[in-house]
Amino acid sequence: MLVKVNVNGIEREVLVDPDDRLLDVLRDEFGYKSVKEACGTGDCGLCTVLMDGKPVLSCLVPAFQAKNHKVVTLEGLNSDPLMKKIQDQFRAHQAAQCGFCTPAMEIMGWHLLNRKKEPNKQEIKEAISGTLCRCTGYYDIVDAIYDAGRPE
Amino acid sequence: MSAQTAEEFLTEIQKKAERGELLYIGKELRRLDDLEKVLGSPIYTNDLIPRNTLYARLVLSKYPHAIIKSVSVSKAIGYPGVRYVLTHKDVPGLNESSTIIPDRPLFAFNKVRSTGDIIAAVIAEKPNRAQEAAELVEVEYEQLKPVFDPVEAMKPEAPKVHDDGNIIKHVKVRKGDVEKGFQQADYIIENTFRTQHQDAAPMETETAFAVQRGERILIIGSMQTPHHVQAAVAKVLGWPLDRIEVIQAVTGGAFGPKSDEPPYDVASIAALGAIKTGKPVLMSMTREESMIAHTKRHPAIITHKTGVKADGKLTASKVQIVLDGGAYASLGVLVIVRATFHANGPYEIPNVWNDGYKVYTNNTYTGSFRGFGAPQAIFAAESQMDEIAKKLNMDPLDLRLINMLRPGSKTSTGQLMDESCGLPECLDAVVKASDYRKKKKLYSKQDGKIRRGIGIAMLHHGNALGPEGNDYAYVHLSVEKNGKIHLGTGLTEFGTGAISGLAQIAASALGVPIDYFTIDRPNTLVHHETGPTVASRVTVIGGNAARDAALKLKQKVLPVASKVIGCKVEDVQIVDGYVYCKEKKGKSLSWEELVKEAYEANIELNTLGYYMAPSCKWDEETGLGSPYNQYTFGAAIAEVEVDTETGLYKVLNYYVAFDVGRAINPKSVRGQLYGGTVQGLGYAMMEELVHREGYVVNPNLKDYYIPTSLDIPEQIQTFIIEKQGSMGPFGAKIVAEPPVVLPGPVIRNAIMDAVGKGVNSLPITSEKVYKAIKE
Repeated sequence: MLVKVNVNGIEREVLVDPDDRLLDVLRDEFGYKSVKEACGTGDCGLCTVLMDGKPVLSCLVPAFQAKNHKVVTLEGLNSDPLMKKIQDQFRAHQAAQCGFCTPAMEIMGWHLLNRKKEPNKQEIKEAISGTLCRCTGYYDIVDAIYDAGRPE
Repeated sequence: MSAQTAEEFLTEIQKKAERGELLYIGKELRRLDDLEKVLGSPIYTNDLIPRNTLYARLVLSKYPHAIIKSVSVSKAIGYPGVRYVLTHKDVPGLNESSTIIPDRPLFAFNKVRSTGDIIAAVIAEKPNRAQEAAELVEVEYEQLKPVFDPVEAMKPEAPKVHDDGNIIKHVKVRKGDVEKGFQQADYIIENTFRTQHQDAAPMETETAFAVQRGERILIIGSMQTPHHVQAAVAKVLGWPLDRIEVIQAVTGGAFGPKSDEPPYDVASIAALGAIKTGKPVLMSMTREESMIAHTKRHPAIITHKTGVKADGKLTASKVQIVLDGGAYASLGVLVIVRATFHANGPYEIPNVWNDGYKVYTNNTYTGSFRGFGAPQAIFAAESQMDEIAKKLNMDPLDLRLINMLRPGSKTSTGQLMDESCGLPECLDAVVKASDYRKKKKLYSKQDGKIRRGIGIAMLHHGNALGPEGNDYAYVHLSVEKNGKIHLGTGLTEFGTGAISGLAQIAASALGVPIDYFTIDRPNTLVHHETGPTVASRVTVIGGNAARDAALKLKQKVLPVASKVIGCKVEDVQIVDGYVYCKEKKGKSLSWEELVKEAYEANIELNTLGYYMAPSCKWDEETGLGSPYNQYTFGAAIAEVEVDTETGLYKVLNYYVAFDVGRAINPKSVRGQLYGGTVQGLGYAMMEELVHREGYVVNPNLKDYYIPTSLDIPEQIQTFIIEKQGSMGPFGAKIVAEPPVVLPGPVIRNAIMDAVGKGVNSLPITSEKVYKAIKE
């Protein structure tokens, strides 16, 4: 079936099978490789993208369900000033170790900071609790998002 | 800066040089590979595949132990979208995928020994078509009697997993006279401890991509040791090494299994598939495939018998470790060596008798995983210490202070600890920070259902390979005309930051800022074979090679500088990217200008640095000697709060100190202390890859719990102690692995302090705590 979808501000049309996942369409059809697959069962959060501004797990969203919706991946936020601030803090805190969870963590951080100014660390931990990281133990990620939420 | 004259600037630099200040060591510099990661750039294996790539899926054994009577792939091959089905018949070279002992076929053919055994791989246009067709591969089995308990498997009458007996490796330590030691003791304490299968669960599963290019095959994959993958694929294909180009893609976590046999499997299958189909092939394990078919942390059954005087002095320690090796040997034959050498904990004990066994069973195979046998060994040793303290009615801290390793004492293998033994400083740091004595006293007076406890654990950790192999490394440096320095090595980065650390070390030796450095991707056809990236050895062993490469580079440019400046070679200084004469005569040059002069003088600026650690000497029969060149030390204290009615508990505070010799990048060191501790807390509190009758019950991240951001203590207080070691550059010791070791025993001991009873098996679930309280 033909699906019209807005990805990172660009109107797209794509032919999908009923069992195609949004994750695969974003990665394989549109080339947005920041979207990662680490479980395929909705347990790790690494395929998180924003759909109409809300985080969704793109491995659990059939591609056809994205029809007429707005999808944003990290690639679509790389020039956003707040995202740049988050990325700078991730670098300063060495919050990206292997880096595989980094895009999803940054998206969750960005989503939180857009809803809540200067969140405390517990609020940050709650916001990223659906996103798994096996390298950092989370502390440096929490600190990076925390500092990105503070005034310069 | 602008107000400063060139003269003043030079004076300042010269002062730094005279002070011998290390400009890039001990500094929290950013990593050289962080930008591409924070931008979400396409850098991992699965991001790099072309559009016409085919996908492979595994057909795994249905039974833990069975004869394979036949394999039929005809139905699977006829399935829409399927291009090929690989079995053992497609292997042109050796059907083998093994590290040390050649006991594991790439494709099982005559029998299966575990449910993780690979029988076939289906290659199709889409992953889901391959998955569906995998169900259509027909295998006829004749079931054999399995064995799952490693202690049962050691008995002569047990079913044989392989043709020979089930004991793969027996490691011994024999020091003093252990029976005499027990006679001297006032008390003898005996306990048995058990640990579970832990899955490393790197966020990126095992994956490899292969494409044939003329006479060569190119493999891009997620791995720790590309040269070993190259050799493994060469064996399977029956090709010479130079036809196999392996590039390590940016790797999304590793933790040990990616140094073991799983990367051989995915690379070999992708390569065979590419050759058979003429198309690029991606073999990327699903999470379920990975959790069944890759190596895990060995479960262990560890018995301790310890003799102690009434005053707390240990007289004898007898330890037996039995590791459930699963169906294949893997790197586990070395895991049992490290486990057995560290089995008595960081204590001086005059009489020691250790037996370590790695045993075959029909469980899925186990192998290399962060800590490499130490998490099991130290969980038992440090739990035993608290049981001894309880028997003596002594504070566990005092028992440790009486017996711990310090400069001048000897380990279980008789190795003398020199001044670089920082264990007392580590213990002191966490005792002070946690206010241990006060809290211990406070918590001893509790009643009511909610109770707090405080516990200690500590360790020594032999550095780098030691008895595990020749400890060498190569590092290449090459300089572009614009001054940019490429650092290349077969050692790999998978998240620790160690390769950026190599650049810091090279920068220091050369005198040029780290901004000039860039890291090249490890490539087997470009970089020297350089041993495995394991045992946290990049900084210590690779660091010496990086230093050597930088010093060789310096030797090449110094004569050029001497000529240009008009200064004696021995007086030329390179500091922070500036080249000048010590006597302040002649002109000064920038690093770029010097490189340009070198190019014009036809001096080629490529160097190959090399380092081989001094060989370690110990006796195979008694284990006595010095199996490691230097040791890392660590101590941790945790406070817990336990609900005595339900067994639920939480970690309130965690303090950890490590003697890392010299922190090349303290921020990266802390990253390892945090990450290792949390992975260790998972091991201590919640992680268990459950095997039932040989089947993995929870091969997914829904039922196998790894810590989330809500499972971690509010904070972990870290302390870096620097008692410089003899081997590493600038005195550095290894750090990445041992932080994972301490949470198991420290949480156990803190709970015992709170409720008076210890849980002697991991993970320490609330259910086990509840049962311990009610017993």
